[in-house]
Amino acid sequence: MLAACGGGSSSSGGGLGSGDLLVGVIAPFTGADAGLGPAYYSACLAAAPSINSNGGVGGRQVKCQQFDTRGEPADAVPAANQMVASHSNLMAAVGCTSDEAATVAPIIDRAHIPMFCMTGQTEFNKTPLKYFHRLVPADIFDAYAMVGSALYGPGHAPYKRAALVFGNDIGSQAFVEPATNAFTKLGGTIAINQPINLTASSFRTEVAAMLQTHPDVIFTEALGAAGTYLGEVKTLNGGKMIPFIGTSATIDPTWFQQVKGAIGVDDLVNNYAGVDLGYSFSGPAYTEFLTNLNAASSQFADAPKYKQRGSTLHLYDGIIMTALAMTAANSSDPKVYNAKIKEIANGVSGAQVVNTYKDGVAALKAGKSIRFVGAGGENNFDQYNNSVSGYIMVKYDAQGNEVKVAQLTPDQTKKISDAGGL
Amino acid sequence: MNTYYAANLLVYAGVDIIACLALNLQFGVSGIVNFSFIVFQAAGAYAAAVLSMPPHTASGYEFQLYVGGFQLPFPLPWIGGALAGGLLSIPVGLVVLRKLRSDYQAIALLVTSIIANTVITNARPFLNGAAGLALVPQPLQDQIDPGTDWYQYFYIGLTAVCVVLVWFVASRIVNSPFGRSLRAMRDHELAASALGKNPVALKMTIFIVGGVIAGLSGAILVGFIMLWAPSVWLFPETIILFAAVIVGGRGNNMGAVLGALLVPVGFEEVTRLLPSEFNMLGFAITPPVGLIPALQWVAIGLLIIGFLWFRPEGVRPEPRHVFDGAPVVPDAPEVELVRTA
Amino acid sequence: MSLFAAAFGFGLVSMSVIALAAVGFTMQFGITNMINLAYGEVMISSAYVAYYINRAGISIWIGMIAGAAFGAVFSFLLNRIVYAPFQRKGTSLLGMVIVSLAVSLMIANLLLPIVSYNSVSYHQSSGGLLRVGGIILTANQIVIIGVAVVVMLGIHGLLTYTRLGKAMRATAANPTLARNCGIPTKRVVDAVWLITGALCGLAGVVAALNSDSFAIASGAGFLITALAAAVLGGAGQPYGAMIGAVIIGMVTELSAASFSPEYKDVVAFGILVLVMVLRPQGLLAKRGALAAAG
Repeated sequence: MLAACGGGSSSSGGGLGSGDLLVGVIAPFTGADAGLGPAYYSACLAAAPSINSNGGVGGRQVKCQQFDTRGEPADAVPAANQMVASHSNLMAAVGCTSDEAATVAPIIDRAHIPMFCMTGQTEFNKTPLKYFHRLVPADIFDAYAMVGSALYGPGHAPYKRAALVFGNDIGSQAFVEPATNAFTKLGGTIAINQPINLTASSFRTEVAAMLQTHPDVIFTEALGAAGTYLGEVKTLNGGKMIPFIGTSATIDPTWFQQVKGAIGVDDLVNNYAGVDLGYSFSGPAYTEFLTNLNAASSQFADAPKYKQRGSTLHLYDGIIMTALAMTAANSSDPKVYNAKIKEIANGVSGAQVVNTYKDGVAALKAGKSIRFVGAGGENNFDQYNNSVSGYIMVKYDAQGNEVKVAQLTPDQTKKISDAGGL
Repeated sequence: MNTYYAANLLVYAGVDIIACLALNLQFGVSGIVNFSFIVFQAAGAYAAAVLSMPPHTASGYEFQLYVGGFQLPFPLPWIGGALAGGLLSIPVGLVVLRKLRSDYQAIALLVTSIIANTVITNARPFLNGAAGLALVPQPLQDQIDPGTDWYQYFYIGLTAVCVVLVWFVASRIVNSPFGRSLRAMRDHELAASALGKNPVALKMTIFIVGGVIAGLSGAILVGFIMLWAPSVWLFPETIILFAAVIVGGRGNNMGAVLGALLVPVGFEEVTRLLPSEFNMLGFAITPPVGLIPALQWVAIGLLIIGFLWFRPEGVRPEPRHVFDGAPVVPDAPEVELVRTA
Repeated sequence: MSLFAAAFGFGLVSMSVIALAAVGFTMQFGITNMINLAYGEVMISSAYVAYYINRAGISIWIGMIAGAAFGAVFSFLLNRIVYAPFQRKGTSLLGMVIVSLAVSLMIANLLLPIVSYNSVSYHQSSGGLLRVGGIILTANQIVIIGVAVVVMLGIHGLLTYTRLGKAMRATAANPTLARNCGIPTKRVVDAVWLITGALCGLAGVVAALNSDSFAIASGAGFLITALAAAVLGGAGQPYGAMIGAVIIGMVTELSAASFSPEYKDVVAFGILVLVMVLRPQGLLAKRGALAAAG
């Protein structure tokens, strides 16, 4: 089973080495964003068995380790440096959220470690960092999808007046401008753009001001404050909820539970529309992911809750693709195998599509080139290693599962991005 | 241990040493409990950033909104940072230092720090709000490729030069008549003013000097991490630096240096090495996710409390300055802030 | 619906929530000279205690009492086990602040693995909406205002009419003199920590109830508002803290109604800056706060 002896694959990469391999989960585990780290860690907890019980990477077992950035850039820098310096068996880094990506990504890139970062920040839309990979869409695409949901979503006439309620933090303006441009050019009106301080403990006056503008729909993300804000919308509106559309980051068990606690599950299910990348939540890749995620509950009790969270799916895929890239390049040197990740994600012509690590290794051994289509679906990396794919419109069911309701057609998508202009 | 991690620790050590030396001048030597200290470091960082960054309309920077953007070459941004720290000290000092007794001063300065952070976070067009300033250019990045080891050595050297400079200035102050006046004012303000020293002028002067040095430390830090956001300078950071000065030994520069190495660098970084897996009796025990990072913080808290309990005078206590012929008295007690009215 | 009338109503709720926290905090400072940076974490711990009780099906009003009791005991123990020993050793004000910060780090991070990082909400229907001339308040909010008024009156009564209250005021003014006059300052201090701890716990539950959903990270924000109101009114002055709470609570909501709401904190803190420039010791501080001239 050892592919280390140079059989099958095209390049003589120097062999896969020995000893354990490490995936570094570099994200906040304490502080204000303490929830992000564990969500990404669960992706690694699911990916490791997929690889390890199928021979590992040339026999090497994959392990996961947490590196706490403590939620702020000045603490993130030593975390990243320590991760890189103390572990020569680092195969990939995952996580790097918007809180710290701007400082951490260059460090990891300089150390030639492939990374899969969870940040929609605009500065990475055209990044020169070769080891940076982004599987979540840039925020502007989320904004367009939300406009699409408002205009073309099923079950309602196109909304005319939208209220934009985003945090004044690291994510906000990236949504506001494209959403405003697209929505207004396609005939809608922005009733109010209301940046809110996500750490505030109440938003009553803001909600009252928003209600006075009589919007048909609220576009929001407001991670951490959504429960508070939406709860007050319901109260101040006499118990009646206004429809609200969330970004892809709102497809998250934490967000669901917070808003459900505030407005109740019925209002949540009936009034929430979300946008997300087109996940099928089925197929061989997803099945293996789900099995391993559930098994990981012995190490992390909340792990199974992330079964539909886009970022968890993508990081899972990213780790597996890295392992496949190492096998394909027959090398444990990231400088050699980094470029293979994109190849395996996008596939070259004639590539065989595989859905699991096991199948991928088998195909590689047989001398084929592969395209990995994993739990998160197809990937299409552009020249900046940003992967963009189609959006769908979703809602929640009462248990917090994502349910697809419709898909934006390519025509509609084009109309919106043209109107949005960015 | 590779070059970058070593450089990281050394540069952070340098920045913290400089900050602690400044704080020691303000607090250790002069008795000003400046609980807004971190604001001055932040002012220096922001100033250095907006002086060295291109305007926000430039390509690649459009996602940010900020004032300035003068793209000045090194070392102007660092000088600007130091100046910003000094300039900010003037209004703050004028308001708070003149009129208030020290415990009220302390809490008022603490609130000032909170106000500054809230205002900068919410007033987005000024310094890009909560997201902060990213892609801050590094000193001489066009001349030396920042991706190489040489650049790390260069940065370490640059930081070391600044540390030496600040140490020199701080030593001169502490060992000068000015320094003696400051200590006299700290220990017995009434007696000092009876001798003709002007406490207000003394306090303002050292406050501004401390502000300048704090600003410089901010400029050095932002040049290294290339990002500066409100989350970096929340009010607990000031308290950590105070802990450093106390743990190291207040009132003397060496103590400040030791404290800087122990607390912000030592405690915070050593705790990262807490293992994430244990081997007990042949079984690998993996603690629940997030437990070890949380325990790292608990460990930091315990270390601080432990030092304060077992060695309250600091690792290197302030040396008593004894003059020939003077009666030798036991160490002065900690300054107690007693209500008198 | 006039936005200003509504904002006024919200201001009443805000000021009630802030007052409960600020008065407790300022009394701790005034009587024991502690700038207790762990205050916010005690608040949030009490909020979680009430949450677990509420989750067992018990009404949040009972939970509120439980939270207050927990806050009282927790703060009392904190003083007995950590703060008082350090103070007996002669640790300065500054040293105590550092200790309280270390304690707050420890509380927050010991709580994190237990309650997890998720936000939680209380299960309590918000009650009917009351609309009076543009003001919109839920029944819960009216109860909160009521609780705050009752507690403030209670504090006033305590300080003015009871022996304990007078002993507290004496200890705050001059501990040595108070002791010499036969006041059992150690017992007074114990009582202070119990009472302000109860305020802290109560304030935590109320603040959590007020914000519809809370998490550990909310603790820092609670501390900041309490601190700001306390300093505005004059650190150590309970009535000052009440006034500070009124000002900050009302200004925040009214300015959210007048300008863009994202600046509401800026305006409130701007008022604070103005007061600090004009009267740095705070609105109600006694003359002793000022240093000797020169």
